[in-house]
Amino acid sequence: MPKFPSREWVEEYSKKLNENPAYRDAGRTWEGDILFVVEKDQAFPKTVYIYLDLYHGECRRAEYYESAEQLPKAAYTYRGPYTNWRRLINREIDPIQGILTGKFKLEGPMMQIMRYTRAAKEMVNTATMVNTEF
Amino acid sequence: MWFFRSPEVVFGDDSLSYLGSLEIRRAVIVTDRFLKDSEPVNLVVSNLPEGAERMVVADVPPEPTYREMTASLDRIRSFEPDWFIAVGGGSSIDTAKVLFALYERPDISVYDITPLVRLNLRRKSRLAAVPTTSGTGSECSWAAVVSVEGERRKHELASKEILPDVAILDPRMVVGLPREQTRNTAVDAVVHAVEAYTSTWRNPFSDALAEKALQLITPNLPVVLAEPGNIASREAVHIGASMAGLAFSNSQIGLAHALGHALGAYFKLPHGKCVGLFLPYVVSYNYQAVKERYDRLNTIFPDKVRAEGFTETLKNYFREIGQPLTLEEAGVGRGEFTQSLEELVRLASEDTGVTMNARDASTEDIRRVLWEASGWRGDGA
Repeated sequence: MPKFPSREWVEEYSKKLNENPAYRDAGRTWEGDILFVVEKDQAFPKTVYIYLDLYHGECRRAEYYESAEQLPKAAYTYRGPYTNWRRLINREIDPIQGILTGKFKLEGPMMQIMRYTRAAKEMVNTATMVNTEF
Repeated sequence: MWFFRSPEVVFGDDSLSYLGSLEIRRAVIVTDRFLKDSEPVNLVVSNLPEGAERMVVADVPPEPTYREMTASLDRIRSFEPDWFIAVGGGSSIDTAKVLFALYERPDISVYDITPLVRLNLRRKSRLAAVPTTSGTGSECSWAAVVSVEGERRKHELASKEILPDVAILDPRMVVGLPREQTRNTAVDAVVHAVEAYTSTWRNPFSDALAEKALQLITPNLPVVLAEPGNIASREAVHIGASMAGLAFSNSQIGLAHALGHALGAYFKLPHGKCVGLFLPYVVSYNYQAVKERYDRLNTIFPDKVRAEGFTETLKNYFREIGQPLTLEEAGVGRGEFTQSLEELVRLASEDTGVTMNARDASTEDIRRVLWEASGWRGDGA
């Protein structure tokens, strides 16, 4: 069972994304990469990064970084503290309500992202499919 | 954690007089070209505080583009208003929201008006909305709809900061509303209430408002259509429509709105007619996911139209008030429907209404609901 966050978890998540027909459908016109930033908090000691290259419903590349030094540039960044990520993956937080309530922050071109809220929801649904250890 | 947001709502007889109690020095009145010299605008002007200067922006077309919305922005900046007062239907109120935001923040783009960006508005002015239709709910919502230039698409803007400070629901403003607009806009309100009540973001506040909205609208709308001058029923529908607006603004809309936005943008059909057309089919699609909720709403509709299932009740009600039930009845030809189908599917699937719908809807599901609502049998039907 992969631990979140870890390289193994990212590999498993990427695999699940590519196997999930609902994500493939919702993201079928999406072109762009996204960086998830899991920020350190009282429950997790360091900030880590998950880079996803997403294209037409497929995850073409998924990387895990423990340092910000060599991060690829991504069109979007979705960031929040570890504890909120944990609640997101456990479906206790909705990914969009999470932004509206200040639990997560999203950076990037806003006009495009509003057309892909269904894809965002399916990305979270997919994360819940990973048998995750925290 | 979630929120309940509302403007100050002023309602009932002579509620426009409330304008006179506000500290208004320089007001921009945003309205459409049809209302420019009409009784509603004259009433608003006559209720402004003594000595208040005014500038009337009356160039808002139906379903405006961003360029059309902002055509008067330079003039407004020179005027330096301290209040924006929207007088009209959804297009005028949405335009006032955009003008207000861009007047406050000349450095932002209209596409920065999203829930994800903090705008820090209200440093120079405030926003009031006086609806002249009963249905869009824009006077009570933090959303604005913009038609995308050169595309058959509508873009939804949303920010808690464009929620009006004051909404004034004066029944005199809607008493002269033509029958067709009365029906179309009130049907929109019915859909707001039903979708707010079943949205995945529903909450006790939106539930209460949605139920009460339907209690007010459903018995009174047929009365208003038969007796347009019936002030008591007009007022009930007017208040109900704003309650429905508050309900969806504090939860969300659903698949009927996603489909209605796509259809309305593509075929230039009235918004209320479009969303109403899809509602029974969306209820049927969602039914098992929120059966108890639909069953509860079914008890609210008048006995005369109530069937065992909510889908049939809605169809009965819409038949009674003359709301079309199929694309065919709405005047869309089979050829133009089949030609536009994939574009409608794409537009609907990219609408935020899909995301909070009671049941997840794939593109194949959306295509199937479109065929069902078409009135024709298709490959997917």
